[in-house]
Amino acid sequence: MSNLLHFSEHTLQEIALVFMATVYFLRIKWFLKWTLAKERQPATGMGDTNPKKGARYSLVMIMKPWTMESTRSKPFMYAQFVLFHLGVVAAIALSFIIPYGPGLLKSAALVSAIQFMTGAALLVGIMRIIRRVTNPYMRAISSPDDHFSLILLTSWFAFALMAASNDISGGEGIIQTFFLLTAFFLMYVPFSKISHYLYYPFTRTYMGRSFGRRGVFPLRKKPAYETV
Amino acid sequence: MNNGKDARSYKAQKVIDRMGQKLSRQIVGSLTACVHCGMCTDSCHYVLANPGDPTYAPAYKADMIRKLFKHHYDWTGKYFPNWVKAGSVYTDQELEELKDTVFGKCTNCRRCTINCPMGVDLATFNRMARGLLCHVGIMPEGVEYVAKEQWEIGNQMGVLKEDFIGTIEWQEEELQEEMQDPTAKIPIDKMNADIVYTVNPREVKHDPRSILDAAKIFYMAGENYTMPSEGWDMTNFGLFNGDDDLGGAVAGRVYDNVRELKGKKLVMSECGHGYRSTRCEGPNWAKQDIEFEAESSVITMLRYIKEGKIKVDKTKNPGSFTFHDSCNNARSCGLTEEPRELLSLVVEDFREMYPNRAENYCCTGGGGAMSMSEYKARRLKSGKVKAEQLTATGAETVVTSCHNCVDGLTDIIGHYNVGMNVTQLVNLVANALVVDDRINENTTKYAAELATLG
Ligand code: SF4
Ligand code: SF4
Repeated sequence: MSNLLHFSEHTLQEIALVFMATVYFLRIKWFLKWTLAKERQPATGMGDTNPKKGARYSLVMIMKPWTMESTRSKPFMYAQFVLFHLGVVAAIALSFIIPYGPGLLKSAALVSAIQFMTGAALLVGIMRIIRRVTNPYMRAISSPDDHFSLILLTSWFAFALMAASNDISGGEGIIQTFFLLTAFFLMYVPFSKISHYLYYPFTRTYMGRSFGRRGVFPLRKKPAYETV
Repeated sequence: MNNGKDARSYKAQKVIDRMGQKLSRQIVGSLTACVHCGMCTDSCHYVLANPGDPTYAPAYKADMIRKLFKHHYDWTGKYFPNWVKAGSVYTDQELEELKDTVFGKCTNCRRCTINCPMGVDLATFNRMARGLLCHVGIMPEGVEYVAKEQWEIGNQMGVLKEDFIGTIEWQEEELQEEMQDPTAKIPIDKMNADIVYTVNPREVKHDPRSILDAAKIFYMAGENYTMPSEGWDMTNFGLFNGDDDLGGAVAGRVYDNVRELKGKKLVMSECGHGYRSTRCEGPNWAKQDIEFEAESSVITMLRYIKEGKIKVDKTKNPGSFTFHDSCNNARSCGLTEEPRELLSLVVEDFREMYPNRAENYCCTGGGGAMSMSEYKARRLKSGKVKAEQLTATGAETVVTSCHNCVDGLTDIIGHYNVGMNVTQLVNLVANALVVDDRINENTTKYAAELATLG
C-alpha cells in the first residue's frame, strides 16, 4: 500500500471525521438556541394517545410506509428510498472496514452484500438524478446543493461498489478515489441537505408530541367505537 | 422603494426583523429539515387541480418563505446563498408576490404536513409568514376586514351585542313554540351554569336555525347552560391571519367570560377552526392555562345520547349521508371518531368518504379562504378532488362539523354540479330527537299560557 493511500484511509478520514463532528456540534448548538414553543393546550381527541406515544409513532412512521399516503401510494419510490439509504450505510461501513478491519472483506458474502447494496443505491441514484432533472416539480424545488449532493452520493456509491473487494492488485486508483470522495463527503455533509438526519429526530419528535397530545397520532383508519 | 440590492423597503425590512422574533425551534426545524424529496407534492389539493404547475407544490411554496430564513437566519444560506437557494425580499412588490403564495395558494390544511417523511410542517410556518405580512399591512382585503371586526367588535361578523341578544331571544321564542313550552329559555349570562355555550357568528347572522337546534337538544337534555353576551364568538381569525396577538385576545375573551360567569365547562358549537383555536392554540396564544373543561358540542351531544339524556330516532333522517372531516378538527385536533359515532346514531345510511379522517382533503374554504374573494376562482378550481370525493360516495347529503366547511362544500357542490345537500350534526341530532311525548305533555300542562301566546 502506498503512503498516499495509507494517508487517505487513516489520517485524512480522521481529520474529516473530526471536522464533521465539530460542525455538527456547532449546528446542533445553533439549533437548540431557538426557543422551544410551549404547548399549553389540554389534551384533545380520543383519550388513548398522548405526547410520548405520538412521538414514538412519529419517529418510526418512515419504517411503516402504510401510515403515510405519500409512501403508501408510491411503493416504488419507497423502495428506492430504502435501497438508497442502505447504500449509504454500506458505503459508510466500507469506509471503516477497509482501514480498520480489512480481514472482514475476506468473506465473499460480506463483499457481495456491500456490492449489492451500493450497486442498488447507485442505480437508484441515477434514477433520482434523472427524476430531479426531468420532473418539472423536482426541477422547480431543487437547489444546486440538491443536485450536487445527489451526484456526489451517486458517484460515491459507484466507487464503493468497485472498492468493496479491497483489491489493489490492479492499482490503487479506485480505492484511493473512494477515500478521497469519502473525506470530501464528510466535510461537505454538514453544510448540505445531506445532514437532514441531524434534524429528523427533532422535527419528528416535536410533531409527534403535538399530534399525540391532540389525538391525531397514531393516525386512525377504522372506527375506534362500536356502532350501536 | 428598491434602490438596489442593499436598499430594502421599510416593510420588507420589518418582515425580516420580525421573522427573527417569531421563529420557534419547531418552526426552525421545519425550515431546515426539508430535503426537497417531493413526496408531499401530490398531497396538496392545489397541485391535483393544477397539473404541471410546480408553483403549487408544497415544497415550492415553502421555499418562498424558507429562502428568507436561510438568507437571514441560517449561516449556510448567509455564506452560500445561491448554493442553497437563499434569498431576501427588497420591495413591497416582492411582499405582494409572497402574499399571493401564502394566502392564495395554501389553505394551511396540513395535508402535506402529515405526508412529509421529515416532519416538515409547512402550514405552521405559512401561518407565521401570513402574520409577518399582516404586521406590515399586506394581506387580502377580506382578511383585513374580518380581523378588524374581531378586534373592534369582538366577533368576526361585526354582530353587535343587541343584535346577538335579539337573535337569541328570537330563537328562544321559536323554541317555546316548537316545544309548546312558554317557559323554555335560552339563558344569557346565567351564573354558575354547567355549560357555557359559544358559537360561530355565522350562526347568529346566517344560520340561527343551528342555535335553535342546539337549544332544543339542551332543552331535551335538561341541561343547566348559558350563552355569554360577550365572548360568545369561539371562532378566531388569528389562526388565519397569523396574528398571535389577535388569537390570544379572542381566545382570552372567551376564557374570561367563562370565568366571569363561573361556568364549569366551555362547549363550542361545530366549527373546525374555532374548535382548534379555542381548544388547542388559544391557551398558547393567550399565554394562559385554562382551568375549566372545554369540549366540542359533538362530544356533548354524543354523551347525552349515551347517558340517555336525549333519545333519538334515526328513521327521522331518511336518505344517504357521508361525512366530511374538517381539516382543523381531524388533522389538528384528532376529532375524527366522535362525529362518526354520533352520525351513525342519528342516520340509517352512513357512507364513508375516501380518503377520510386525517387524510381527508380540505373543503377549499380553510385558512380563511372564504374571506379572500380575489382568490375565489383559484379556490374553486382547487376543489376538483373534493368534488370527486363527494361524488364517489353516491350520498345525498354531506355532513360536516364545521360552519366554514358548510360554505366551502356548498360552493364546490354548486361549481361542480355535484347535486348534494350539506348539513351539520347539530341539525341531524335535533331532527332525530324524540320529542312528541314531551310536546304532548307541555301542550296539556301549558294549554292556557299557549293560548295567550297565540
Ligand atoms: S416538505 Fe417534506 S416531503 Fe416535501 S419536499 Fe420537503 S422533505 Fe420532502
Ligand atoms: S397545507 Fe394544504 S393547501 Fe397548504 S401546501 Fe400543504 S397540502 Fe397544500
